[in-house]
Amino acid sequence: MDRQPSPLWTNSSSLLRKTGTWRSAKPEYILSPSPCLGACPVNGRIAEWIGLLMEGDVKGAWLTLVDNNPFPAIAGRICHHPCETVCNRQQMDEAVGICSLERHVGDVAMREGWSFPVPEKEGEKSVAVIGGGPAGLSAAYQLRRLGIKVNLLEQQPQLGGLLRYGIPAYRLDKKIVDYEIRRIIDMGVDVELSAEVDDQHALQKLHDEFDAVYIATGASQSKALPGLDYSQSWVIDSAEFLSATNAGEPCSLGSDLVVIGGGSAAIDVARTARRLGKSVKLLSLEPEHLLPAQKTEVDEAIEEGIEFVTAAQMQSVSKDGGSLILECIRINFNQGEERGKFTINPVPGSEFQLRTDAIIPSIGQDADTSRWQSLLDSDGTVVKTDDCWQTSTQGIFAGGDVASMDRFVTQAVGMGKQAAAEIGYYLEQLLSGSPVMNANETEFSEINTNYFPAAARNKQADLEVDDRLQNFSEVQQPLAEDHALAEASRCFSCGSCIYCDNCYLYCPDMAITKLKHGYEVKSDYCKGCGLCVAECPTGSVVMLEEGQGTA
Amino acid sequence: MKEKQNLQLLSGNHAVSWGVKLARPHVAPLYPITPQTPILEKLTEFHSQGELDAELLTPESEHSAMSACVAASLTGARVFTATSSQGLLLMHELLHYASGARAPIVMFNVNRTPGSPWAFWPDQIDSLSQRDTGWIKMYSESPQESLDTVIQAFRIAEKLALPLMISHDAFYVSHAVEPVELPQQELVDNFLPAYNPELRLDTSLGQSFGAPIDQATWNRSRREAGEAMARVENEVLETGKAWGELTGRSYAALENYRTEAADTIIVTMGSMCGTVRDAVDALRDQGTAVGLLKVRQFRPLPVQTLRDSLAGIPSVLVLDRNYSPGMGGILHQELKSALFGMRDAPRVHGLLAGVGGVNVSSNKIQQLVAEYADAKPSNDSVWVE
Amino acid sequence: MDMIDYPDGEQFSPGHVACAGCAEALSLRVILNTLGADAIAVVPPSCTAVICGGYPLSSVSIPVQHTTLESAAASASGVKRSLNALGKTNTTVVCLAGDGGTYDIGLQALSSAAERNEDILYVCFDNEGYMNTGGQKSSSTPLNAITGSTPAGKLSRKKNLVEILAAHRIPYIATCSPAHLSDMSAKIKKAASIRGTKVIMVIIPCLPGWGVADDAAVKTARMAVDSGVFPLYEVEDGVDYTMTIDTRNQSVNAYLKQQKRYRNLSDKNISDIQADVDKEWEYLLGRARK
Repeated sequence: MDRQPSPLWTNSSSLLRKTGTWRSAKPEYILSPSPCLGACPVNGRIAEWIGLLMEGDVKGAWLTLVDNNPFPAIAGRICHHPCETVCNRQQMDEAVGICSLERHVGDVAMREGWSFPVPEKEGEKSVAVIGGGPAGLSAAYQLRRLGIKVNLLEQQPQLGGLLRYGIPAYRLDKKIVDYEIRRIIDMGVDVELSAEVDDQHALQKLHDEFDAVYIATGASQSKALPGLDYSQSWVIDSAEFLSATNAGEPCSLGSDLVVIGGGSAAIDVARTARRLGKSVKLLSLEPEHLLPAQKTEVDEAIEEGIEFVTAAQMQSVSKDGGSLILECIRINFNQGEERGKFTINPVPGSEFQLRTDAIIPSIGQDADTSRWQSLLDSDGTVVKTDDCWQTSTQGIFAGGDVASMDRFVTQAVGMGKQAAAEIGYYLEQLLSGSPVMNANETEFSEINTNYFPAAARNKQADLEVDDRLQNFSEVQQPLAEDHALAEASRCFSCGSCIYCDNCYLYCPDMAITKLKHGYEVKSDYCKGCGLCVAECPTGSVVMLEEGQGTA
Repeated sequence: MKEKQNLQLLSGNHAVSWGVKLARPHVAPLYPITPQTPILEKLTEFHSQGELDAELLTPESEHSAMSACVAASLTGARVFTATSSQGLLLMHELLHYASGARAPIVMFNVNRTPGSPWAFWPDQIDSLSQRDTGWIKMYSESPQESLDTVIQAFRIAEKLALPLMISHDAFYVSHAVEPVELPQQELVDNFLPAYNPELRLDTSLGQSFGAPIDQATWNRSRREAGEAMARVENEVLETGKAWGELTGRSYAALENYRTEAADTIIVTMGSMCGTVRDAVDALRDQGTAVGLLKVRQFRPLPVQTLRDSLAGIPSVLVLDRNYSPGMGGILHQELKSALFGMRDAPRVHGLLAGVGGVNVSSNKIQQLVAEYADAKPSNDSVWVE
Repeated sequence: MDMIDYPDGEQFSPGHVACAGCAEALSLRVILNTLGADAIAVVPPSCTAVICGGYPLSSVSIPVQHTTLESAAASASGVKRSLNALGKTNTTVVCLAGDGGTYDIGLQALSSAAERNEDILYVCFDNEGYMNTGGQKSSSTPLNAITGSTPAGKLSRKKNLVEILAAHRIPYIATCSPAHLSDMSAKIKKAASIRGTKVIMVIIPCLPGWGVADDAAVKTARMAVDSGVFPLYEVEDGVDYTMTIDTRNQSVNAYLKQQKRYRNLSDKNISDIQADVDKEWEYLLGRARK
């Protein structure tokens, strides 16, 4: 052959053609808050740690979790989990069992003995934390992470507050409490037990001695039921009852009890009494569907044989031989606009009697705001604080039940965290780092549910009722390893990249580069179609008009 | 002249099949059509007997046959197919594609009247109407020439990267049986270099063919095809000479038969040449100076050689076994255009002789020579009654 | 979550000129990377021809012959036979054609290749019309769809090409969707492992042709599958039907409403289409049960 045909054959790759010039919008990877994050009292990055759990990185999940909450094993057992109430997955089938997963991670951490690091650099400043309950411990933990010295003063002989003395062991085993508190103390917290700060002078002294003071003494005074004579031997304060039982010295009572109240504490009292072999009735103003206690608590209480007498009020008590007669009446309960501002109307002619041996009123706790009156303003119920949790005296901060009517344990943990950040900033302009988030919460419509096969929630098993009543063993059983993984995989990871590669694999222009952990858009070739956004399962990539940056 | 050996009585079509077998193509897509079918049947017979080691495929149409030819050729195979009339016309689209792709396919066409009305007679309009498709077009007069040309055709086509179509007339050549000398396989193997194109569909090269291109590149592709076409006549001559050295039968683009000192030269193609030879011999015997100029290579038309061959000849008779309505005989028109502007150009008489396969006898040709010896030529082709 | 899995590779390059968001380009990415380097493609005029080419650049690593519109299967036969003759028998020859080149003008050549059981893989990107010429109807255009040549909506139904091909009893036919990329890759891999004629039909929602948003091709394809308009299944040896997904989870309504080409549908049209899809679905399930 002495001649080749004309070279009409292709000789180069289309890589030379920069089709990125067609684009008017470009995908941008974002981290936007999931609804659960917004609802979480500690603003835990739930989607992120469940994502890590899904990948099998339990340690990573734990580290993300404890960034905001040093008590995953505790919260995983008793948190009222508002996160699950707002979970986007509910709109497809059922909410993800976030709380059970938190417990799983917390339990693994205990089993593995993971601990918090002692701060690398010890700062000059020191803070006195008054109160070793959830708020005080949470603040102490976060302050230590900032390198601030902490002196923790606790009135009781042991740390934990409500965790130790309020919540019964069948909901929260005390070994868990010991462990998660010990882990904080091991970061180098100076603890003084049985320490009273009982007046303004004592507080002033601390204020002089330390760079800042954080008050988290909780709400330890039981509200009194009007018209009830607390001096009688057949009236026992609920906090006292729980505290004594939790300390292993239950009060001696008759065999029939009436618990008055409808909150978690009342249920705790009733169920504790059942475990002591009592026959228990629970008398509440609220009808059953409006009880402030969590529904699972009520259900479990009913299972355990507690008789609920709801939408009723005790009017008087009289003695009849060895037992008491409670004169009661049915009421119409009106919830009202605001929490605690309910109204009641007795139903004429609906009177009835209850016969019992003793009464345990459990209608809530008040904070003691009077002892530091001259230093700290209060509204009569709680100590007043500003947006930064600072009281009316500069350098004295407060949080938890003493400063707020938000009374769930994890709300206290959240307040402790926030106060620590504010104290850090107050003392040294220290900023505690959290990733900057896109302001918009990820909505259900941004989730591509096609990638999430229908899967029923993996439920935690409960102990059989007969077994429960024998002792104080934990009722709620942990998720098995494989169930935990399955449950984690139900999470939509709203607003968080889970590195599933969908954006990469769906790009018709091969315009996404995979990085070690994440992705990058190739400007030369991305035509801006938005398929990556449409097929992102988690809503963690958005289209931005060319020229705009992320907010 | 060499002693003839290995003679076999073969029809024109079977001679073609023999030529193809000796040329060892890799792929041969084939579709039957009268009067081409014996070519196909002989090849499938060779194949079934293990004498032809080629991929034969029998698609549903000539269109697909030619599509397969192009693709196979672009993949680096030596490719052959055969057709006729309607089949050739059905291929039309792919004929352009093949030349644009510079695919050196060798195709044999048996000239036949296209419908309508339906007929099966020798007429060259089927292949002549494909003259602008970019194929080299050759016409054969006899079974021996058809066999010889098929083998030469692969060498010419593959060397220039141009597709090549050879035609012979229905029945007069396709089914006429005569002794044909069969060359030895070794002779053909030595004559025909292996086909190994540098540009091809090959996974180790990754290059693609046929992607949409811009105006200038399409334009260039046709210029380059034209440049290759300009080299055809010489290649035909060289190849024909080389073949002659091996077989004693030399070929060129044109053949002069007894044209020395002729007063009249008859120009024609295909089977008509045989009848004209007979008429020339008869007229020469009578003392009339007549010769034959056979056009073997119609595309590219060997213009300069035609001019040289016909310079100073007083009268030329063109016999066209084809008719382009509204224009006349195609060879007539082509020749007039080839001779345009020559100072000593002959008088050119275009005669439509044998259109639709009607018989044109030697006597008739002798009469025509006498009739047109001194006649004034007409611009239009004239129907021979 | 359900992870997508197909072989990653560089058989298809950026810089091609498919419309932004084109599901055909996406499918090409999956198919070409699944086939790998030992393949030659034959492409008739179509969107794929434009996507692959633009002389002197090529977006595909394997060689491509851009053939004529009606010739894909015949040309592929020619390439395959040539490779056989040259001793390269393992190379996959794949046609990448549109529905115009398959259902219409190329059907004759495809039928013949199927009858000869040529060892080729034929992929039809079915965007239900001549979309590369601006959107005219083909015999794959469904009933009532508006195209450039059916401005009042098509009056006849879509041709069932899978059944026509099944009647050839070729070894393998499958349907695929760009919303099911793992499945597409698996079917391509399976097809490539079988000797003989294999045909893969891929539904390609055409963004301008169907009137859907730039980011909605995958979503639309998913709706086509989920509603049963375009079921995913396989046919082996022309008679063994297997459903890839044997459930439907939505009516045709949302699928139709998604597309501008169905903008003029009356409620009656929609219920007629639903009835037809139901009937075809049951028929197909019946075939698969046998």
